[in-house]
Amino acid sequence: MLMNRVAPVIVWAVSILIVWQCLSWVFLEVLELPLAQSKLPYLHELARTFPDYADVLLAEGAVTFSNAALGFLFGTIAGVFLAIMMSISKWVEQLTFPYAVASQMIPILGLAPIVYGIVHDDQISRILIAAYITFFPVALNMLRGLRSADPSAVELMYSYAAKPWVIYWKLRLPAALPGLFSGLKIAAPLAVTGAILVELMGATEGIGVIMLRNLYYGPSHNYMFWLTVITGAFLGIVSYLLITLFERILTPWQPEFRKTGGED
Amino acid sequence: MTTTQVPEIELDHVSMRYQTDKSEVLALEEVTVDIRKGEFVSLLGPSGCGKTTLLRIMADLIQPTNGEIKIAGGTAKEARLAQKYGIVFQSPVLYDWRKIKKNITLPLEMMGIGKEEREKRVDSLLELVGLTDFKEKYPWQLSGGMQQRVAIARALAIEPEILLMDEPFSALDEFSRERLNEELLSIWSKVSNTVVFVTHSISEAIFLSDRVFVLSPHPGRLSAVVEIPLPRPRTKEMRNRKEFYELISEIRDSFEGV
Repeated sequence: MLMNRVAPVIVWAVSILIVWQCLSWVFLEVLELPLAQSKLPYLHELARTFPDYADVLLAEGAVTFSNAALGFLFGTIAGVFLAIMMSISKWVEQLTFPYAVASQMIPILGLAPIVYGIVHDDQISRILIAAYITFFPVALNMLRGLRSADPSAVELMYSYAAKPWVIYWKLRLPAALPGLFSGLKIAAPLAVTGAILVELMGATEGIGVIMLRNLYYGPSHNYMFWLTVITGAFLGIVSYLLITLFERILTPWQPEFRKTGGED
Repeated sequence: MTTTQVPEIELDHVSMRYQTDKSEVLALEEVTVDIRKGEFVSLLGPSGCGKTTLLRIMADLIQPTNGEIKIAGGTAKEARLAQKYGIVFQSPVLYDWRKIKKNITLPLEMMGIGKEEREKRVDSLLELVGLTDFKEKYPWQLSGGMQQRVAIARALAIEPEILLMDEPFSALDEFSRERLNEELLSIWSKVSNTVVFVTHSISEAIFLSDRVFVLSPHPGRLSAVVEIPLPRPRTKEMRNRKEFYELISEIRDSFEGV
């Protein structure tokens, strides 16, 4: 069973690496493209540069990740709160939902410098942008989750003379958890990307900052540049996997996690 | 079985109208019913006869357009707030995130009964419905019939005066249904509360009930009340008796033009 799941992943990863390495060779030796290593560097060169650069990547990555995580947390809280308010009151939904949608139409690329211009602090602007990106998918999916409770299950609560907040606590919120997690899984990598984007606008620390710096220094810093890009991607993947882990722990009842089917 | 003459549920000329986009649908017309304490009655009829609507009115899930309803002398709302009802729906309506034992103790939590007392009661309830071994399982690990037994145990948890069942076995195959009918009667013989059982199966209604209320559709109205004189405890052999078949024909004849 384990082999069936792991084997394709390994085969896939190895194939990608081989294709990468071959293409890199073709660019450099066969086509003799100018700046071939900038277009696609040799993997062994990246591996050789990595040990010397690992400290920097770790330190800057930690800054980006912690800021993104903080923003993600605030965005989640805000999104969940708004979703609950919208599910309680149609009026709140009609009042806020169109603006929540409209807010998502503003390009992050434009918003980031505006936010930075207002708060003048790269920590805070990173957190704000990450929160802003997180907020919408979380609110939307949470609202769907809250509404997904079986009407009969609500009637059952009604027949127990349950108070509204008890219905939320014992029924609607647990029923909304799978929806919440799909929102979180969309939002987590985006929050990381958002934080990196803000760093490109002129921060002092973070993956985005060294990415930009390496780009300025040109071919001599090429392998470092590629390593920062890979680190950025890696942070996004880690954030996604972390959410998946929490999902498994907190909602083991979801159909995709069920170990056994029905038995008679 | 110990049916006294105290009326537990009284419906007096109850009508129910639904407003749809353009027209008005009369779901129930002037239904008058008396159900005695400790009686097992069925509401029987084809789909569209308003039997589920009638049950939902009794449960205070909806309010009738006209007419009066009294539960144990008070209003339906008072009865609901006093948690006199145990309800079993057509589907089990178990909470996926709760294990079987926690599904059964849900109404006890709602009543504010302490953890120790809940644990004690859940064991006897599981024994009552024969699911002791499944205490720690999740709902999806059980078959449809077992899930419905959990739903019955949950409804019985608060020792309700009135058990309302809305086609609880209609999603099951004939064999499981007959077996659960027998189990339901054996459970009921131990708790002996008032039961209102909605069904569209004539034989199920006869096998279970003291009286069968036959409803006809369009508009839903009470077309006959049939006493079931079969002795209790009922056994599965009774399904083959001549009386049983006569009752089936009698009820079938009582449907007006269906």
